[in-house]
Amino acid sequence: MTETDDIDVETAVSADSVEAALEDLEGEGLEGYNYAYLDEHTKREVRRAILKAIAIPGHQVPYASRPMPLARGWGTGGIQASLSLLGPEDTFKVIDQGSDESVNAANIRRLAADTAEVATTTDTTDADVIQTRHRIPEEVLTDDQILVLQVPVTDALRKVDSSDAANRRRHAHKNYGKMWVHLYENVVEWGEINIAARYPTMVAGRYLMDPSPIPRWDVPKLDDADNLFVFAAGREARIYAVPPHTDVEPLAFEDRQFQVERFPEQSCAACGSTDTYLTEVETDDGTRHFACNDASFCLKRQDDPTLPKDHHLERSGVDWGPGTPDADGDGGVAGDADDGGDDE
Amino acid sequence: MRALDVDPVHGTRRTFRTLCDATSRPGTVHRTQTAPADYAVVAALVDHEVTFHSSDEELTEALASQGRLESAAPAEADIVHTKGVPSWDVRDLERGSLVEPSEGATVVYRVDGLAASPEDGQTAVTVTGPGVDGATTFGVGLPEAEVTALADAQADYPRGVDAVFTSGDAVAALPRSVTLRVADDGERGSEDDGGER
Repeated sequence: MTETDDIDVETAVSADSVEAALEDLEGEGLEGYNYAYLDEHTKREVRRAILKAIAIPGHQVPYASRPMPLARGWGTGGIQASLSLLGPEDTFKVIDQGSDESVNAANIRRLAADTAEVATTTDTTDADVIQTRHRIPEEVLTDDQILVLQVPVTDALRKVDSSDAANRRRHAHKNYGKMWVHLYENVVEWGEINIAARYPTMVAGRYLMDPSPIPRWDVPKLDDADNLFVFAAGREARIYAVPPHTDVEPLAFEDRQFQVERFPEQSCAACGSTDTYLTEVETDDGTRHFACNDASFCLKRQDDPTLPKDHHLERSGVDWGPGTPDADGDGGVAGDADDGGDDE
Repeated sequence: MRALDVDPVHGTRRTFRTLCDATSRPGTVHRTQTAPADYAVVAALVDHEVTFHSSDEELTEALASQGRLESAAPAEADIVHTKGVPSWDVRDLERGSLVEPSEGATVVYRVDGLAASPEDGQTAVTVTGPGVDGATTFGVGLPEAEVTALADAQADYPRGVDAVFTSGDAVAALPRSVTLRVADDGERGSEDDGGER
């Protein structure tokens, strides 16, 4: 209560408002910080881990995660990876659950713009590096883009065994029996595999990977993509990666297939899309409607409701998960979503 | 690393991005914009946190002058550099353990030419696996026996060594995840690979 009385008058800032006080600080703010905030020693550590992660797709590579100017769990791994990648010629986009405008996304974008002198964008097709929390954009990523995913829990096996040491031994020997039992129990209990996010996914036939809490909708986009995916966890100090053109297969049974989310009879309230990942929104007056989760693509669809997800590519018919032309070829993965039907 | 003519911030960052591209697309040839590229790669990756081996004194002196050299014998080093065919055997390098395969070494070769389509005097290497759309073939200025030895060093995936080739400002990489085939010598490297285990 009395703490305010203890302010040291010598160092106290006298200003009419917080804004005026910040104004006074200008000029000194970023001086003394290295390019892209991190020191070069830290970047080398992160970069070595990223390269090993690419060389062993799906394996969690430990690295020395640094304290960042925000709490662990708020994207510190993603920020360290992004800042180690970014250069002045890059354009950077940050999304949080599909939104460019959440406080966290806006702050991360501003940190990169201030310290790494990168251009920023909200347009997926303009970005060179995209940092994301819990989504993969609806628009198809290309071979000169890198997607950096923030990861809260690195190990897909964590939900079947809390021991990290035991799980690392399981990965060493590709012993994923316990996960298969978990999926089987799921089928017994629910009639289908009922995992909302962090769907266990096999990378290049060797490592079981936690694809971060992206919805099942986004999991097929990891398979045989054109772009590099980097997964970075600050709290758990692990980095893993999926290179382009790598087999990524969600675990499933022959008679209980992997399914993406279904939105029967629903379309986006803002743009009318039926082939995008929708989230249910409750408005102030208590009514509920569905809206696109990828805000940037939704805005484009509001201008042109027929805009395909591969509109920026020369080739068409690109397989990029549900709602892209070739997606049906994946054995009904996307079929349900496309026609809005629910075949159960 | 000014001693090696590499901008310590932007030169190393560009080199790292080139390595990212090269490693995630094995068998494709990229440019670092810094020559010689092997020095740029070493400057981007090596400091006192990792052990390093090279018989190139210019390189080791430049690292030592910045307190970034932690020397080790080839078989114990995390990052190993060689100009052409090394005096040691790539099969003896550290391959990491099954629990922590990322402790396997990175070997940086300065080779006599790198080309997207193999030229005379180069070994034609065909690559399949993660990062490669189908198969790709490139030419590397190393004797066939050395590439074959590398394939052996990558054979017990996920343990293995990762290779970076440089020539002038050109860079290509062969991470352990891929399967190599040298000329028409039949398939090398592990039942592992099969890529589609």
